[in-house]
Amino acid sequence: MGALTRERDVREAYAAHSGELYGFAVRSLGDAGLAEEAVQETFLRAWRAGERFDPEIGSLRTWLFAILRNVVIDLGRARASRPRVAEGGVEPSVEPLEQALLAWQVEEAMRRIGEDHRRVLLETHFRARPYAEVAEELGVPEGTIKSRVYYGLKALRVALEEMGYED
Amino acid sequence: MRTDDHRDWKLSLGAYALGDLPPDERAAVAAHLEGCEECRAELRSLEGVTALLPLADPALIEQPAARPPADLGARIEAQIAAESAREGRVKRRRRFRLGVGGAVATAAVAAVLAIAILPLGGGESSPAQEVNFASLPKGVSIDATLEPHAFGTEIEMYVSGVRSGTLCRVFLRDAKGRTYSAGSFRYRWGEDSHAKLSSALDLSQAAEIGVHAGDRTFVAPVGGAEIDSA
Repeated sequence: MGALTRERDVREAYAAHSGELYGFAVRSLGDAGLAEEAVQETFLRAWRAGERFDPEIGSLRTWLFAILRNVVIDLGRARASRPRVAEGGVEPSVEPLEQALLAWQVEEAMRRIGEDHRRVLLETHFRARPYAEVAEELGVPEGTIKSRVYYGLKALRVALEEMGYED
Repeated sequence: MRTDDHRDWKLSLGAYALGDLPPDERAAVAAHLEGCEECRAELRSLEGVTALLPLADPALIEQPAARPPADLGARIEAQIAAESAREGRVKRRRRFRLGVGGAVATAAVAAVLAIAILPLGGGESSPAQEVNFASLPKGVSIDATLEPHAFGTEIEMYVSGVRSGTLCRVFLRDAKGRTYSAGSFRYRWGEDSHAKLSSALDLSQAAEIGVHAGDRTFVAPVGGAEIDSA
């Protein structure tokens, strides 16, 4: 696919990438309504600038995320200038944007790897539980927990690379 | 060293990278790493990932991924279709210009065929024309670019604002009121609605272009502004 100039191109781009873009928008803006606004604005800007998209330079996904980053910054500014109303629920995100993107990518990558690997990484790493305890709970040898940690990290790396991460 | 041993070392590298190994095992893995470039490379690759883990919020990992509302795509398409309708003329003209290289090549082939088949003439060139349909119902927009060919007239038509799925039948009419079909297309809301059609009537003989769209017919005179296809 070349430039993003036809309405059909936009439809295909939306089908392929809207889930991720929306996920990141929610994560960084902390608000479903604002996230919708951000995704809508992203595809409109992409459509208006469609002739400038060049697949030789980078993927469509990377391009859309770059647009979304700008939109999120603009929305963040607009929100900061509005009077704040006391609100319960989700706290507005205060993380710098690049960090929010990385955080969301890691969380999304964790959701994408296999259930066995995710479970073991969550219990041993994020909840800091001893391998032996997790092994007993799952009814597997402790060595299996260790190898699941290893393969889980490898799977996580693949999932992150699919999302454009490189070190 | 046996391959199986090496595999065992590798399986420990995840726990090693996360700092989860008891001291004796940790020391053993460290000693192996000293002498094994392959495992050191593997460790670096894993550490690229473990360095990012502290950013993630485990509570969010266990929530299902946030999904956009089902109608968001349709709303975006509607907005783009509206914008596209406003900008349609400009965009299409630009594309027409971009396509000139190809059009020239096609015309050259057509000219060669014309010479081979017809003794002379039949491909005399009147310039391409742009036709705008005036006095349309509110919200409906139709325009067309007509290009002369040896076979007749090539028509690129742009329609918006009629009901999605509407059958559009296009025709040319000469000065004596004789009608020449140019084919048909269906307008699909949200899709690229530039239809490419052709009619056997020479552009130089065409007096009117018309579209039957559903139960309505729109007609515009041909012979208006020329397009500079330079």
